[in-house]
Amino acid sequence: MDGKLRELLDIPENDFDVVVRISREEDIAIARQMAKQLAQELGFSLADVTKVATAVSELARNIYRYAQPGKIMIRKRPEESGGPAIQVVAADRGPGIESVERVLTKGYTTHERSLGIGLSGIRRLMDFCEIASEVGTGTVVRVEKRRRKF
Amino acid sequence: MAFKERVVPTIRIGDSLLVPIQIDLDDKTVEQLQTQLLAEIQEHRVRAVILDVRMVEVIDSYISYTLTETAAMAHLMGCRTVICGIQPPVALTLAQMGIELQGFLVARDLEHAMGLVYSP
Repeated sequence: MDGKLRELLDIPENDFDVVVRISREEDIAIARQMAKQLAQELGFSLADVTKVATAVSELARNIYRYAQPGKIMIRKRPEESGGPAIQVVAADRGPGIESVERVLTKGYTTHERSLGIGLSGIRRLMDFCEIASEVGTGTVVRVEKRRRKF
Repeated sequence: MAFKERVVPTIRIGDSLLVPIQIDLDDKTVEQLQTQLLAEIQEHRVRAVILDVRMVEVIDSYISYTLTETAAMAHLMGCRTVICGIQPPVALTLAQMGIELQGFLVARDLEHAMGLVYSP
């Protein structure tokens, strides 16, 4: 198994401020709400709060649709490591992604009720986005958004 | 349609249906809203549905998908769909994700929306 993926799947929940387990449709809204709250606490602009909340909504829906149960973990990055930022890890031990490159293509989807825009959109909304996945093992998406100075 | 089946209370103005969305849209609510609107279009034979989304803070890809689908369905029933009041952060997020909300007439505010209902 891919070492990086294993490492990411084993990130301790205690390192995070919020952990939301995703197994019901309602959990998507809960994860989105939590992300919004943490981004607000960090003093993000309204635009960036909305981007973070939207990205988390997409991540949670992906887990709910393709790989439940999984979890969304959110933390405020410590100040000392380069300015305030919000980090989100979406982890599941679901079926995994066959081709990460393909799911990042705008318009690609395996679901009939989807724009195929989720992951490619997340990448555009956030400052950092990393996907580790292996068929049969699971998927971890790690994203980060830094607070911008105005 | 019975009141309890409505997820969003609607107001009839002339031959339009005003839909002020003042709740957080999640997957289930937006699906229920679609069903509700189609039933109301049929029941009242309205010319247009105006979705006022001023209070909506997050519109993600699935909500967009379902709203776009609703507009397409309304169109097939001979009804226009106008969306108005998209907040700047929501507009920014949608544009950055590359979501276009096809099939909607887009208005700045309610007055503009009412104008679009009767435009040729």
